[in-house]
Amino acid sequence: MVVRSYNDELKYLEKITPNCWRIKKGFQPNMNVEGVFYVNNHLEKLMLDELRNACRPGMVGGFLPGVKQIANVAALPGIVGRSVGLPDVHSGYGFAIGNMAAFDMGDPKSVVSPGGVGFDINCGVRLLRTNLHEKDVLPVKEQLAQSMFDHIPVGVGSKGIIPMNARDMEEALEMGMDWSLREGYIWAEDKEHCEEYGRMLNADPSKVSMRAKKRGLPQLGTLGAGNHYAEIQVVDEIYDKWAASKMGIEMKGQICVMIHSGSRGFGHQVATDALVQMEKAMKRDNIDTNDRQLACAHIHSTEGQDYLKAMAAAANFAWVNRSSMTFLSRQAFAKQFRMTPDDLDMHVIYDVSHNIAKVEEHMVDGKQRTLLVHRKGSTRAFPPHHPLIPVDYQLTGQPVLIGGTMGTCSYVLTGTEQGMQETFGSTCHGAGRALSRAKSRRNLDYQDVLNKLEEMGISIRVASPKLVMEEAPESYKNVTDVVDTCHAAGISKKCIKLRPIAVIKG
Amino acid sequence: MFKRKLTALDHPSPDNFSVNDEKQFRNLVVWLEDQKIRHYKIEDRKNLRDINSSEWPKVFRQYLDDLACPVHSESDNSAEYLEWLLSFSVKLEYGDNAEKFKNQTSDKVKKNELNTPKVVSQNPLDNLDFECADFKKGVNALAQLLNVTQHPDHLITLKAISKVVCQRLSAEALENPNTVIVKGKPFPFQEADLGFDMGDYVLNQAAKILRLLYIHNLRDLQTRINECIVAVQNVTADPKTDTKLGKVGK
Repeated sequence: MVVRSYNDELKYLEKITPNCWRIKKGFQPNMNVEGVFYVNNHLEKLMLDELRNACRPGMVGGFLPGVKQIANVAALPGIVGRSVGLPDVHSGYGFAIGNMAAFDMGDPKSVVSPGGVGFDINCGVRLLRTNLHEKDVLPVKEQLAQSMFDHIPVGVGSKGIIPMNARDMEEALEMGMDWSLREGYIWAEDKEHCEEYGRMLNADPSKVSMRAKKRGLPQLGTLGAGNHYAEIQVVDEIYDKWAASKMGIEMKGQICVMIHSGSRGFGHQVATDALVQMEKAMKRDNIDTNDRQLACAHIHSTEGQDYLKAMAAAANFAWVNRSSMTFLSRQAFAKQFRMTPDDLDMHVIYDVSHNIAKVEEHMVDGKQRTLLVHRKGSTRAFPPHHPLIPVDYQLTGQPVLIGGTMGTCSYVLTGTEQGMQETFGSTCHGAGRALSRAKSRRNLDYQDVLNKLEEMGISIRVASPKLVMEEAPESYKNVTDVVDTCHAAGISKKCIKLRPIAVIKG
Repeated sequence: MFKRKLTALDHPSPDNFSVNDEKQFRNLVVWLEDQKIRHYKIEDRKNLRDINSSEWPKVFRQYLDDLACPVHSESDNSAEYLEWLLSFSVKLEYGDNAEKFKNQTSDKVKKNELNTPKVVSQNPLDNLDFECADFKKGVNALAQLLNVTQHPDHLITLKAISKVVCQRLSAEALENPNTVIVKGKPFPFQEADLGFDMGDYVLNQAAKILRLLYIHNLRDLQTRINECIVAVQNVTADPKTDTKLGKVGK
């Protein structure tokens, strides 16, 4: 890494619009394209402070600052367009979380990097609507929270309540949500309202290690720990009445259920296995990167293909996982209100993935190209009329689900044409950490965090209360800042704001 | 084996064909290329026609490659290849005469089988003169009655009328009007982003209408897909839970 003073570093950064900064070539060595990141005044300060801290003499260890990571990604072989940092960007393994990068499938040198997908493969958010109003739910809020907690196993080491054997697992890995459909856990309409229709067709379970399968099997249908949660939410604000109505959201006070979860230990193991393979492939194929954590392989090499097939299997795992929890949430509501989920109109509004790499068609310099788009902590946000979004959203653009932090609010955005052009149809994914987990544990007290949530009228059920300070709102960037930046920059459009009234967490 | 497909293709002896007879196999391949597939020009078919040549398997493989056959099998005389070639030929045959075949649903075929002994009564509609002034007047009057916009071509108007009658005025629809009347909320599609600009207001408007028609079609398709999935689910679905398996983590 080049060592420069903070002021020298700033010379490589340029504010091109009120919400967008450019990272010029030379900021990090060998940059093939420029970098770019989206911020508002508040987030800008966080970004630059992080860089300033890293420039202080004697700063070693830990992750590189987000801007540096965006620039290192811009130096990967085969990257096209720009390396994009979304407003919620923060340091991660190799790639920053909130970084998207696209690689040309036609260029034999192009790479795929597990660091660009993340360890929790196909971590994502699903939103269910109901026809209940806040006033129907408030009197039974505690019971409902408890019922959800009883149905959806949470926490480190939790185990699911949907019986599965090794063969079911193999089928689920290959079929994704089609498995859940076949077994009757979900509705036909759920598949329609899910990215990729809930199944990546190139999944190949035989490319997944035994170890990953063993870790994954008991965890299917569990929420997990960390920032994952299931929330009962209330529509707090509607910004775009027409788009909201297409999603079945008609009024303020309407109750929704948000599920934020991923592929659990399964995806983690798939990523770990791939990193080992790729380090070898890098040596063999002489791939140079600025950062060891950016382990990658040529897309068309065996390692690259094996990873993509295993990643697709992990993505399918995550969809089955969220589908199982959809089933369990519907059961919990049905029992509480003694009505069928049908009568409660508990349809899936949409299901997004924010840790994934996908082959997509995009316009680059006026030409249509096939790209491998890495989105890590970044959500796909396709504009109206895009062929890959559901028919119901053809006029509004794809719904983008942004999960807030525990106790803050969440948003639904829609994709825009501008986002398609500037960020390959990508936008933010959530709040994004401001404090590291360790720092949060040091600075906050878990009882305070719980008390504060109670004061806000939020029922909470946690498996491990001592970890809640890692997920306290103070540990994160302000999700509203993040979403407002995306809206102001035009890369997606605000549609609905939701606030939680009950949280289930690991 | 293959009898049905051979019959469908008007093969001279569909009953006697044996896939294991090498000569018959090669002959059939040549027959399919000559009569149905016609992928090569006539003069280029020489090698394929030379069925006694020892080179024939090689030529055959090349032929499959040229047709972009997705089947890959170990043996040269594989029934799998033939199965694909026959299906491919049937597809071509259908493509050539799609209009003629597309109404042949299984229901209809069944009906026809039942009806064969009876003499088909003469259809009075066959004797109508669709171009006479009287007919045109009738169509337009009907259109006015049903509130259908008239098209300069009265046959197109008639098509539109028939759609309205089939969808809205069928016995089921009249009995249960709620099932067919589209309930939806208005959407300001005029303000919606078209995604491109044709540079002309009228063209843009037309493009927007086309978009809507396309979305309408797509919705119909998706609904039918969902119905299909539900039909399968009725056979396969058996969701289970076992709370004893559950374990809350720490």
